[in-house]
Amino acid sequence: MPSPRKAPRLGRRRWGKAKTFHSPAQTELDLPEGQGSSSQIELDLLLPPILVKRRADEPVPIQGELLLPEFQGETPEPTPQIEFEGMQKPIFDIILEDGRQARFQHAHTLLESLESQDIEVHYQCREGYCGSCRTQLLDGDVHYLEEPMAWIDDDEILPCCCIPKSALRIKLQ
Amino acid sequence: MAYTTFNRNEFDTFAQPMFFGEHVNVARYDQQKHKIFESLIEKQLSFFWRPEEVDLTSDRKDFVDLPDHEKHIFVSNLKYQTLLDSVQGRSPNVALLPVVSLPELETWIETWSFSETIHSRSYTHIVRNIVPNPAAIFDDITKNEYITRRAESVTKYYDSFIHLCNYYIQLGEGTHTVNGETIEVSLHELKRRMYVMMVSVNVLEAIRFYVSFACSFAFAERAKMEGNAKIIKMIARDEALHLTGTQHILQIMARGKDDPEFAIIAQECRQDVIDIFTEAAEQEKEWAAYLFKDGSMIGLNKDILCQYVEYITNQRIGALGFDPIFVTKNNPLPWINAWLNSDNVQVAPQEAEISSYLVGAIDSEVDTNDFGDFDL
Repeated sequence: MPSPRKAPRLGRRRWGKAKTFHSPAQTELDLPEGQGSSSQIELDLLLPPILVKRRADEPVPIQGELLLPEFQGETPEPTPQIEFEGMQKPIFDIILEDGRQARFQHAHTLLESLESQDIEVHYQCREGYCGSCRTQLLDGDVHYLEEPMAWIDDDEILPCCCIPKSALRIKLQ
Repeated sequence: MAYTTFNRNEFDTFAQPMFFGEHVNVARYDQQKHKIFESLIEKQLSFFWRPEEVDLTSDRKDFVDLPDHEKHIFVSNLKYQTLLDSVQGRSPNVALLPVVSLPELETWIETWSFSETIHSRSYTHIVRNIVPNPAAIFDDITKNEYITRRAESVTKYYDSFIHLCNYYIQLGEGTHTVNGETIEVSLHELKRRMYVMMVSVNVLEAIRFYVSFACSFAFAERAKMEGNAKIIKMIARDEALHLTGTQHILQIMARGKDDPEFAIIAQECRQDVIDIFTEAAEQEKEWAAYLFKDGSMIGLNKDILCQYVEYITNQRIGALGFDPIFVTKNNPLPWINAWLNSDNVQVAPQEAEISSYLVGAIDSEVDTNDFGDFDL
């Protein structure tokens, strides 16, 4: 039986919003004793998706706990945009100088895409003003979603605020 | 070059360098030579926060329960940060405003210093909340030899520039005799002092703060002193922006983009830059040793902190176009990034002020879903 441990996310996924936080009232669901699995399935169907059941061995999330990103940057959108002819989605291959490869398909930024494909990039602000993710662009072209503020050289990009415009060859710091 | 508060000369703004050109007159932002400074001002204003927004009552309880060696770590860091922000709250204004030549840069310097004064006020807010007698902590800042030793290296570049700059403003270039003392004022030497001063400011914001940040976040990882960590998070966000500001100033100088003489000076001073970064990293390591002299804290010890100093030093000097100084390549404290990232701490909105709430910002994001029930 698939148990909905996490509430389905609605709308756009964004960094920092993908957090699981359950107040005690929502996490606790005391089932009356003696109930079999069949009634539990019914109960599952009746529950609104926000209610989450916590197993006894699962730790209670602490107030103010630091929650690291756990969503997959490269999972497709639940509500994809309408596709128009001549306006293809930017799906491009990314080749790293050390030989590793990745593909940008669904993520919102190049940084999210690389992270979700297990390529570690230094980061801090994720908004383009700190410059921690500075990366050398060897080949290709990127589009900035917002103007980068940190100092970057002519051959460098900030993956935290750009998406590829072509296949890329990059060198991480 | 006597200073005037409103320069009557007519001149071409775009022909002015960042510093040592015409004195500024009209504070106008319609013509901008370096529009990055306007962006920085806007970003800094959108970050505005007040220390009183953060509730520290649970920190008082946490602090009382801390073992003595952890109290020492916490209080020492607070003292050091107070020193750094005291310097930064005034020095950019005193040193740079008399010689600045671009209105957008002038306003950035003022905005930058102003935000440092908020940091200083937040330290008083923290100290008032955790100890019954704040004076005991503040008075020690000028007496504690570990702190005063570092105050010396933080302030010497500022003081040496300001000293010469005062003569330059009063007497201009040349050899002067003041009170029987011969003083040589050359613009080249003044520019050299300014360049190394900017480097040391960059080091202050890029490296010196981060040892304290790491300790504050390590406390909060254990759910201790969380109000303090929330304040430090906002200070760290501001400092990252200030750092970007000094990096831009240094790179514009180094490329001779508006004053070719600075490009020559930047070449001459390459070794000075490396020395300033190395010296600061070594001092921060000594500081880490002082912090942990009576014992480490959970999740952090002297060695890890020293590696972090090396890692961050490499990162920052790399941003200025230099080769790394240390061998450390990886971040030994990867969890810090999540704290330094603007808004990654989960709190119940009713329990605390949400720092993701940008004052004066508009969410202009439109999704196709928003038009779902839209009919023509």
